[in-house]
Amino acid sequence: MRDLPYRWIEAIQDRRDYIEDQLRLGSPVVGLPYTHGSLLLTVSKGAQKIFEVHDRIALSAIGHPADIERLRMLVTDTASVQAFQSATEDVNLHRLTHYVLAHTFKQAFEAIVGEAYIIKMLLVEIGNGDAATQFTHINYDGNVKVQQEAAVIGGTTEIEDAMQNYLASEQNDAKPDLPTALQLALKTWAVGRELSQRFEEAEDNTEVTDEQIDEIINTELENGEIEVGVLDSTLSGDTKFRLLTQDEIQASRSTN
Amino acid sequence: MNHKGDFLSLLKHKDTLQVDGETSREPNTKALIHDAFQLPSQEKATYGTTLEIPEATTVVAMRYNEGIIIAGDRRATAGTAVVHDRAEKVLPIDTHSVLAISGAPAMAYEIARVLKHSFQYFRRSQLQELSVEGKLRTLSRLIRENLPMAMQGIGAVIPIFALYAPQTDESKNGGKIYFYDALGAHFENVDFATTGSGSIWIRGVLRYLDRWGETQLENMDQQQATVTILRLLDTASEYDAATSGYNAKAEIFPTLKTITRQGIETLSDQYLAECYAEVT
Repeated sequence: MRDLPYRWIEAIQDRRDYIEDQLRLGSPVVGLPYTHGSLLLTVSKGAQKIFEVHDRIALSAIGHPADIERLRMLVTDTASVQAFQSATEDVNLHRLTHYVLAHTFKQAFEAIVGEAYIIKMLLVEIGNGDAATQFTHINYDGNVKVQQEAAVIGGTTEIEDAMQNYLASEQNDAKPDLPTALQLALKTWAVGRELSQRFEEAEDNTEVTDEQIDEIINTELENGEIEVGVLDSTLSGDTKFRLLTQDEIQASRSTN
Repeated sequence: MNHKGDFLSLLKHKDTLQVDGETSREPNTKALIHDAFQLPSQEKATYGTTLEIPEATTVVAMRYNEGIIIAGDRRATAGTAVVHDRAEKVLPIDTHSVLAISGAPAMAYEIARVLKHSFQYFRRSQLQELSVEGKLRTLSRLIRENLPMAMQGIGAVIPIFALYAPQTDESKNGGKIYFYDALGAHFENVDFATTGSGSIWIRGVLRYLDRWGETQLENMDQQQATVTILRLLDTASEYDAATSGYNAKAEIFPTLKTITRQGIETLSDQYLAECYAEVT
């Protein structure tokens, strides 16, 4: 098919449409820094969606569970071997992203006779010493976007843009404490969730009111659970990742 | 892909870091796997020889009322020479487990390092903590695979492994102490354990204190347990040249750690200095 460039481009476009269609309804993920580290938040139904990759690196994704698991294991294995062979401090998100994940995503996406990964991934690393916190967004086609203030993944680019706009309008310069960051992340998640359900009817309308945010949170929590993973620099020991308990999440939600 | 969460098999199988036949382009990945940790010497051991274990040290662990206290002296020796006086022989493995080592340092530190990475890898890949039994078996396997080195008389490691099982009922002491032989058999859940060349001088004392002492070891508070351990190490250093006592001039204290429901704590030099006031 490669000797017929137009057919190849067409096939890639078909593949893009197919994957985006599959991802559209995925439960978004929000990554935000807070005073002592960074958090990842989503609402999930049963299966865990936020994972520890290494001491200072966490991962979340939307997409097909089998693809998420496969790529999660790839990055976890690589980080573990590297840390053992060299040192834990030598494992960093930049290398994992650019030398392990991005090209794997791209290769699978462009090998049109093989299966593509239905996945969008968000990774976060909290800096060691002077190094800054960074969020890395990897698209199913291998495109990488690195952000420092906050990052989101949602079903479509439009949903992600709307979530980012909401975050920008609510965030101020100071880093929030954990309860404030968690509440803002949950509202941002709700914006994405609302839009992913609405899009087919009203693609152009990305306005989400506070009432709609509250309503969608209440509805979704009837069947789902908030999941929050934090990289907390104040934790003693090498591992900075932990999942918050439901009690901690509820306590943070009810803090003013 | 490695679905078992077994870190050693991840290191040994060079095809592991692949997704559907595509080799990762991670620089050095292949080399990393190729050179990956080789469990100690594959050379044939000379069987039938006496197993001599160079274990010039004293490490000791005991249960007290909040969990476990575990300690080691700081001296490293080569024959009759003292080569280092700040050796760390009590090594944290994860948030609630500690390995106290005696024997060949190179092997012992490597075993501790592999153990640490194995527990982490299991948790990260399998999304749950490795069970207590799983942790014990991992250590057993490492010690057993080290047997050829032990048989050659150059690399035996006889550790004490202590942990606190945080899921234990609040009213009970979740501290557990396990000791091993050179073949990797573990003997579990004892009130105290000691190993190393100085241990013969204090094992009987521990037994005596536990049985007929004013306060049974397990009922001691942290202060009492610390003083007891310091006295035991002092006794061992009195009779065993390979065990160091408290070096007041250089202010070198033994390493003491507690493992409780809250995790591992290293007792500070200042605290140990206060306790030493009761020892001397």
